[in-house]
Amino acid sequence: MPLDRRAGRFARCIQCTRHDRSLPVRSFSTTAPARLEVLDSQTPAEAAPPPPAATADTPNPNTKPRARDANTVSTPAAEGQLLRNQRTTPVGSRRRRAAIASTGSIPFSQLPYQCFQEARAFLQVDRQEKLEHIRMQRQRIENLKLRAVPPQDEWIKENRIRDMKHRLEETKIAADMNDPVVKRRFEDGEGDLNKPIYRLLADRQWRAYRRKVLVQRITTMNVIPDVLPAIEPIVSTTLTFAGKRVQHGDFVDSRVSELAPSMTIQPYDKGPRLYTIAVVNPDVPDVEKDGFGYRCHFLASNIEITPTSTKVLLHKLQSETQVVLPWLPAYGQMGAPYQRMSVFILEQPKTEDGAGFQRLDAAKTRAEEPRYSRREGFNLLSFVDRFALKPVGVDLFRTKWDEGTAGVMQRAGIQGWDVEFKRKRVEPLPYKRLATVRYR
Amino acid sequence: MATLACLESALSSLRITNKPAASLPRITLRNASHQAQGRANKAKQGPGKRLGAKKTGGEYVIPGNIIFKQRGTLWFAGDNCFMGRDHTIHAGVPGYVRYYRDPARHPTRKFIGIVFQKDQSLPQPTHAARRRHLGLLAYQMPEPVVEAEIEEPLGSGLTSYQPPSAPRQPTTINLKPTTNNPQGLQLTLRPGYQYRQSNYEIGRSAERKEAAAQAKGKTTRAYNDYKPGDRFAAWRKSALRIARNNERKAMGRGNKGAKAKK
Repeated sequence: MPLDRRAGRFARCIQCTRHDRSLPVRSFSTTAPARLEVLDSQTPAEAAPPPPAATADTPNPNTKPRARDANTVSTPAAEGQLLRNQRTTPVGSRRRRAAIASTGSIPFSQLPYQCFQEARAFLQVDRQEKLEHIRMQRQRIENLKLRAVPPQDEWIKENRIRDMKHRLEETKIAADMNDPVVKRRFEDGEGDLNKPIYRLLADRQWRAYRRKVLVQRITTMNVIPDVLPAIEPIVSTTLTFAGKRVQHGDFVDSRVSELAPSMTIQPYDKGPRLYTIAVVNPDVPDVEKDGFGYRCHFLASNIEITPTSTKVLLHKLQSETQVVLPWLPAYGQMGAPYQRMSVFILEQPKTEDGAGFQRLDAAKTRAEEPRYSRREGFNLLSFVDRFALKPVGVDLFRTKWDEGTAGVMQRAGIQGWDVEFKRKRVEPLPYKRLATVRYR
Repeated sequence: MATLACLESALSSLRITNKPAASLPRITLRNASHQAQGRANKAKQGPGKRLGAKKTGGEYVIPGNIIFKQRGTLWFAGDNCFMGRDHTIHAGVPGYVRYYRDPARHPTRKFIGIVFQKDQSLPQPTHAARRRHLGLLAYQMPEPVVEAEIEEPLGSGLTSYQPPSAPRQPTTINLKPTTNNPQGLQLTLRPGYQYRQSNYEIGRSAERKEAAAQAKGKTTRAYNDYKPGDRFAAWRKSALRIARNNERKAMGRGNKGAKAKK
């Protein structure tokens, strides 16, 4: 984008004090919704003395310099005045500013770039065609639904309706994909995720990098296959402890993870749905078995999420209807390896009519299902199979022994705060003396 | 005279010295050993390095045991094994050795791994939870030593906590502006009980002073700003520098002379 270069020309190096460090750096956006505040680094003693007040007798010798607008300066002299006097950088390109100065405020779609306008006209014609296609496809779907078919051909009709709906969704996205206003709105973070085009762009952005990092972390740290055999993440998650974001796989201090976190779960398909969140630790040391066991640190169901309502505060969930196992702080005993705390997002199955989602009875689970109301030995795969859940998202943080772990365990009433794990001594193999004729 | 010349010529033909090199017969040289005997075959004829398998499949090993010695990676370290700096495969856990292939991990590589029981085999089934070995025992941590309470001397009169009488040391000091620091200095209390500026402040002080001086229309620079193409300015600058250096040298020489005189 040419804007970046122009911003750099005026701001120079951010750290350099030779060029008046107090000058603010214009961020990379075409709009300036809030003018950047002037950073006054000078002390009052060093500020220039105010100009002499103008009285009726003597006109003010020092006329105040003309105030320049950052959106309309187009000559180098005016830009210099803006920089020196108002200490702000101009917005956008010089051509844009000249156009705005000569014609007033022009909406983005009417900017006087010939190629841009020609392309816009072409795309608008294309968009009208696609809108017509959408209308026709909707009509055809309705007609097909009304058509009577013999019962043995019902499956053909259903398949056809499903494919036509899929085609309709594709056309909806194609109609908006070429719109520069849509692209700009999405990049500015103002896209409405109730609309399919913004959901698709957000999904694409997540899959381009952050999902790859997530899958790499859960694979290299062996969360898959230790907890679940396989997972295809289709919702993106963020985990926040005490107001601070935790990257996938980060170590979290035991005192920070003492209280339940908050999560944002972002689905990229339309409609509300019910999710179950399970936090499982697969690294519980088991000395009798000389291996590791599982422990469930949190289990809650019937959490409603939509593409626009994504925030979940785990400590604010209903303890009667939603929470099966309340939050148990993550802890790693001294000497044990680091504990991986995996957070799984499981989608609850749809109701028989396909309209809504089935609710999981938390109270009933606590009362009648001992396998899933016990923390120790919690098998997530068994839980997923029992309630026909679909794993859609995963997150991960790690914990290990630190100074606060003992306190956290004592406050939570967990046994074993004073347990230390030490390496088991392995008996050395007996020395095998080889035949002395050939060997010494 | 002629006879002397004849005698001289006759004797000179018999002399070893003064003979031109061309007239001497060439002597052929031959050494006992030749170059090919130096390096060509020595590399193949050295002592054997005892490479190969040291523990066969199924043998019980303990952590650290060498399983396979090799040049390069004929075999790779699989489950619970590790590779040393010379590609030696060592055991990481006590168990039984297994030699296997794992196409899911790599299509052509061969692996050496360790299982914990004799009936287990490698590779582990795909998508199954891994078999893992703890190898630790749980111990009770020793109780922290409680220091014996220090008995206060009788008659001290102290029964409850007394706040310190002296006021707390301030953590920042603001120095007044001086000629060297026209903006004043702010010193903060740092670890080690020293009051000093932060390192970044020290690093930027020169630039800050220059910016402050320029705001007043002055400069702290010894030399003017470089203007490319202005040869006169460049000559003036170098002349100034040369003059300064000469002055400094003259001062130094004067001091030395003074010392020598003493």
